[in-house]
Amino acid sequence: MPESRNSRLTRPETLTAIGIFVVAAGFLFPTYDLRAISALLPAAMLIGLLVLSVFLLLADQRKASAGEDAAPMTKAPKRVIGAFLMIVSYALACDFVGFYISTAVTIPLVAWTFGYRSPVGLLIATVIVVGTIWAIFDFGMSQDFPTGRLWGR
Amino acid sequence: MYSDLLHALPDVFAWTNFAAVVIGVIAGIVVGAMPGLSATMAISVLVPFTFGLEPLVALGLMAGIYNGAMYGGAIPAVLLRIPGTPAAVATTFDGYPMAQKGEGGFALQVAVVSSSIGGIASAFALMLLAPPLSKVTLLFGPSEVFWVAVFGLASIIFLLGGNPVKGLISACFGVFVSVIGSDPIYGNDRFTFGQLEMLDGINIVILLVGLYALPPVIDLLETPLKTDGVNSSKLGTQSLWKALPRMKSYWKTWLRGSLLGIWIGILPGAGGSMAAFMSYNEARRTSKHPETWGEGEPEGVAAAEVANNADTASALIPALTLGIPGTAVAAVMLGGLLVHGLQPGPMLFRDNPDVVFGFMWQFLFGAILLVLLGGSLATNSFARLLNLPRPLLGSVIIVLMLIGVYSIHGRMFDVYLMLGFGAIGWVMDRLKFPLPPVVLGLILGGFAEENLRLALRIGRGDPMVLFQNWTSLILVALTVAVVVGPTLKKRFIDSRKKA
Amino acid sequence: MLNIFKKTAIAGAMILSAGAALAEYPEKPIEVIVGYSAGGGTDVMARTAAPFIEKYLGDGASLVVKNMPGASGQIGVTEAANAEPDGYTLGTFNLPGMMARTIDREAGYDRDSFTYLANVVNDPNVIVTSKASGLDTLDKLLEEAKANPLAITVGMSSLGGDDHFALIKLEEATGTEFTIVPFKGSAPARTALLGGHVAMGILNISEVAEFQDQLNVLGVATKERSPFAPDLPTFKEQGLDLVNGSMRGFIAPAGLPEDVQAKLIDAFSQLSGDQEFLDAMAATANPVEVVTGEEFKQLTSDLYDLANGVWQTSPWN
Repeated sequence: MPESRNSRLTRPETLTAIGIFVVAAGFLFPTYDLRAISALLPAAMLIGLLVLSVFLLLADQRKASAGEDAAPMTKAPKRVIGAFLMIVSYALACDFVGFYISTAVTIPLVAWTFGYRSPVGLLIATVIVVGTIWAIFDFGMSQDFPTGRLWGR
Repeated sequence: MYSDLLHALPDVFAWTNFAAVVIGVIAGIVVGAMPGLSATMAISVLVPFTFGLEPLVALGLMAGIYNGAMYGGAIPAVLLRIPGTPAAVATTFDGYPMAQKGEGGFALQVAVVSSSIGGIASAFALMLLAPPLSKVTLLFGPSEVFWVAVFGLASIIFLLGGNPVKGLISACFGVFVSVIGSDPIYGNDRFTFGQLEMLDGINIVILLVGLYALPPVIDLLETPLKTDGVNSSKLGTQSLWKALPRMKSYWKTWLRGSLLGIWIGILPGAGGSMAAFMSYNEARRTSKHPETWGEGEPEGVAAAEVANNADTASALIPALTLGIPGTAVAAVMLGGLLVHGLQPGPMLFRDNPDVVFGFMWQFLFGAILLVLLGGSLATNSFARLLNLPRPLLGSVIIVLMLIGVYSIHGRMFDVYLMLGFGAIGWVMDRLKFPLPPVVLGLILGGFAEENLRLALRIGRGDPMVLFQNWTSLILVALTVAVVVGPTLKKRFIDSRKKA
Repeated sequence: MLNIFKKTAIAGAMILSAGAALAEYPEKPIEVIVGYSAGGGTDVMARTAAPFIEKYLGDGASLVVKNMPGASGQIGVTEAANAEPDGYTLGTFNLPGMMARTIDREAGYDRDSFTYLANVVNDPNVIVTSKASGLDTLDKLLEEAKANPLAITVGMSSLGGDDHFALIKLEEATGTEFTIVPFKGSAPARTALLGGHVAMGILNISEVAEFQDQLNVLGVATKERSPFAPDLPTFKEQGLDLVNGSMRGFIAPAGLPEDVQAKLIDAFSQLSGDQEFLDAMAATANPVEVVTGEEFKQLTSDLYDLANGVWQTSPWN
């Protein structure tokens, strides 16, 4: 079954090729401000990326016209997006709320959300991980982790 | 000098000093084995802490951690395809396929024995040949180092994978990332967008954690239904004594990998990852059955692991004699030496022989202890960690990634950067872009550029400065041989087949 | 909303800290921000000096070193400049680098952002040549430089640092021209010299002290012979007016309460008479020269003018 024009353009590799092309072109602009010798290697790499992304695009479109289906990036997009969001919010929480609180919340939250639902197991795991980190890094090595920007200094 | 070496020995066996090495090795294996944590990070966290310690205790810890971590990195590389340290990237090539075939236990045994052999060879090089080898380092000025970097970059062509376009995109991406930061000559900003945090360039650990650790974490969370752990947790371990005879035939690989590792170690700047890649490529090139490589060939694990440990002690040769560390970890360790008033230079060996030679012994014992501690620790505890329910394992790795990246410089900026690379890494992983070219490009791209430009300045713009002496010419010849050799060989074989 | 909350928190902290400053300083640990990783020259200076400062501040004072590495110390010094001026945040300060960075890039501070406490280390520049070059005296070097302008390659650490300014001073004083080869740091530059890949080098005395046998040290850029290596002649002795060096010291944010400032400067000024401190610094290759308060401020100002002057005539990036 031949693909519609629209789905030809949303094939993952095609999208990636277009993405690489756009980003590499964007990065080319700042190279104008550099000395020629400073700009040489980065510009060469960016132009390389531009050319290669065109090759990638053509190869993928050729596959598309040959009727090859593109493999989807993931079978469970919701889960992948959820996982990414959780990881990013964990980093933000560490930054703004503080490392220990965020970690103590994140470990059980992520594990529970993604399917591990034993309350005792979650509690034990959280206590062991946070406790070990505290004992080694804070107590043992007096290493500071983010305390949370929200609370000021 | 050799009498100094013996004189330093009793101190090493003082129980605190020896305990430091043992603790260091164990800590190093653990740190290396935790996805996200790296040797560089562990030692930089340790350095301020060592101010209050006796020199040999502090140095013993560092020697142990370095040795331990270089092997520890192999554990998640084999079991999860997450290299625990940058130098373990090449270990994933055959280690992970072995684990999937249920041979993870043997892969780890090959790794620990090879690591130990590499470490012992390197420690002997440091103990017995430091002064002459430091003369070798002096032969390598900017133009020679440039050719070393080109030699390393040339090996990217063997890492491109099935689709050369994708492989080259990976390589270009890696090299491009390597130029971010201040210009090596003029110091002006390149692509930092005003962020001071990016002026020093992108630390390899940040990129590595993002590219290699985040995608598997997403996998763990994406298909969490199998709550019985990951496939590769079935290790199929047998006792080390039964496994050893199977490794007999690797002696050539071990010898070659050790020499390569020691050589790369004494050159400033390149480090363990390059040694491991090159050793792997060379071993595959000379193998009688190269087609099995990448599909779970134990010798591939041996080649990578022997080389990434063989540069540990040898990286300290230029660090101790010239003040120029051979690897990123050695650079951090140099700080630990300065803290104890140990100034690198020719006088170091005269002024503080007991400490310096004691430190060398500690490297040797660290490497030997690796077999004793590493084998059982890895198979008994870490493999069991993989039996954790997948969502839980994923969430714990997320925490470790944050700690590992945050602790390098103590800033959240790096964590966000890591997450950015993680997103890129996930796309690359799913679309089967090879990751090793990115790593090698990042390590060697900017390094090659810096040395090329220094060389051109020395030659006042005349490119002939690059071909001025035998060292350069030999390196050029080697590069050509490595690049063109396999193609010619293939043609030759093909033509004979036709005939 | 978030902002209001933050502002109240800061205001609260300010009131608290002002109260603290009025009471007997110091009442809590003092944080010293070091702009380099643990184990670097500046870090070792801070950690070596810390127990002595604690001793002279008395009353169980405690100094905690905090490393904020990155961008040649700029991240740390910016943090120190913008900290609360209550005496509980100090920072390390490197000259001429910290001033040169305000000229060659946008910096989040300037020379008025600081309360100048004390410069502790003065590591003078030295000119060295490789054994292979055959230029084993200053006269031979200058003669060759005049005969063949730009023919001599000079290895040094980055542009816009003390090495670079020393070279510019040399070029101006003698009417010569050299080809600069800026390595990433002194150790690679020194290695290139040892290997004979560059002919001449400008380094610091602490960096060549261990290598005197492998290099020709032509002179030291100090007014008088450095106690760190008393057998090395100065340029002054050889008829060349060249004084330059790399300095490391301590600053606090501008606007420190006067009593706190006085107490800190008093503690720092006692360092120069403490033999134990001097020995500890010598062991870690840090030549000590303590300059406090106003004098330190003047020194910084002079170096800023020097760097600015160089930048106006020959910008390096």
